[in-house]
Amino acid sequence: MQTIEWGFLIVNYLFLGGLSAGLFFVSALATYLQENGEPAYPRIAKYGAMMAPWPVALGSFLLIFDLGNWYRFYKLFIVFKWQSPMSIGSWLLLVFTGITFLAFWAWLPEETRHRLFSLLPKRLAFLKRFDVNIDAWKRPLAMAGFPFSIGVGIYTGVLLGAVQARPFWNTNLVAQMFLFSAFSTGTAALILALSANKKELDFRQLRFLYTLDICFITIEFFIVLPYLIHGKLSVLAVQEALKLILGGPYTLTFWLFFMLAGLLLPLFIELWEMAPALFQKATIHHNKPLASVAAGLVLLGGYLLRYIFVYAGQISAFK
Amino acid sequence: MADTKKKRYVLVLDSKKCINCKACVVACKAENGVPVGKFRDWITEERRGTWPRLMATFDPEQCMHCENPSCVRVCPTGASWQRKDGIVLVNYDDCIGCRYCMIACPYNARYFREDLGVVDKCTLCAHRVDKGGIPACVETCPSKVRVFGDLEDPSSDVSQLLNTRRYLVKKPETGNGPQLYYLL
Repeated sequence: MQTIEWGFLIVNYLFLGGLSAGLFFVSALATYLQENGEPAYPRIAKYGAMMAPWPVALGSFLLIFDLGNWYRFYKLFIVFKWQSPMSIGSWLLLVFTGITFLAFWAWLPEETRHRLFSLLPKRLAFLKRFDVNIDAWKRPLAMAGFPFSIGVGIYTGVLLGAVQARPFWNTNLVAQMFLFSAFSTGTAALILALSANKKELDFRQLRFLYTLDICFITIEFFIVLPYLIHGKLSVLAVQEALKLILGGPYTLTFWLFFMLAGLLLPLFIELWEMAPALFQKATIHHNKPLASVAAGLVLLGGYLLRYIFVYAGQISAFK
Repeated sequence: MADTKKKRYVLVLDSKKCINCKACVVACKAENGVPVGKFRDWITEERRGTWPRLMATFDPEQCMHCENPSCVRVCPTGASWQRKDGIVLVNYDDCIGCRYCMIACPYNARYFREDLGVVDKCTLCAHRVDKGGIPACVETCPSKVRVFGDLEDPSSDVSQLLNTRRYLVKKPETGNGPQLYYLL
């Protein structure tokens, strides 16, 4: 009586949680790297910090909404079970979300912050004491958030990988795959945000993002590949499970839409964008529509990876 | 008086005796108020060959009350838990309905109760066992497929059977240590 218990809400949550982890990780990196006492990539640092809290907050709502008893979600936070990936993940998620909101606060422009506080009704005027400048917290928050962004990025994969009953999932490669996919989607979202900005494009910052994304996609590719090779050489149950993407119902989605359109195509577009820089020139090609397509494809690929794993994994089983 | 002796409740099944009457399924549903469309135990049927050379096997299945249950391990709130005598249970009040345990069970022995928003499963009729009784499925089985007992007691029927007969357990490779023994 095998049923699909985790559906699209969980797929969306895994994607959104990963997206926030990626956004924060890249933003924190950009905050940490400094030139002459200033963040080396200020726009990336700021955009990442401003964007990071929202996907994870939305994802957490979806997660709670998916529960049979959503109002009991607090029970996740009155115990800690180190053997349960979901318990570890819930705590990671809680701390990470808190840090992303603090970082958001730290990066919020002063006038916007004042304006937000001026909207408060009189009854809540006492809250105005929180209208403080925490600019100096930017780097400490970035540093504190690093391990948590990695933790949240990887835990979504551990959640699936730690289930020995589902041979499609039961390898630690799933965790690594989800982590680098998360970082890649976060970077892609920042490429989109930077490209969408009407201000003059900062090629140096865009180059940094392309470099990161090329690294992330390449690593992800070299995790997916061993996952397949490893699986084919593993025990029968894993070989059988892999048939779901090697001839089974998820084959087309995996190979055409994830591997080709969501992983390799954006990699080639980004490599092309970077080509002039690779040949010792200071600039990059910047074809805005093409860059946006590449970033969009990375996001699509990240979503499909989670879709394929959540669904295919649940129907894989030991015979 | 509380019985302090260590116990380990198991089921021994002689599938060859099963006639697929499903009395165990019905008895379980009646005893435990299992909702329509959900099952705590079921019979897996396998038929091979064509008339007149054919065979059919019937395997009663349910929660294996594993030695090392992955459902208990993955539960984030501790709602899924195991008694000292090996019975794996769900505490409804602590279950948030995340269904991680259902996904982690290699035997697909758990089901979701939409009406309560919690996961439910075979309790090995703990309410009867605690009063010295036996599970409803065992009591009702007309062909005596099912034998219930304490593996820690060397004189129990289950211990005797497992000492004298060959048996197998299902999907031992998942490492859960299932405690339903199928006689060969």
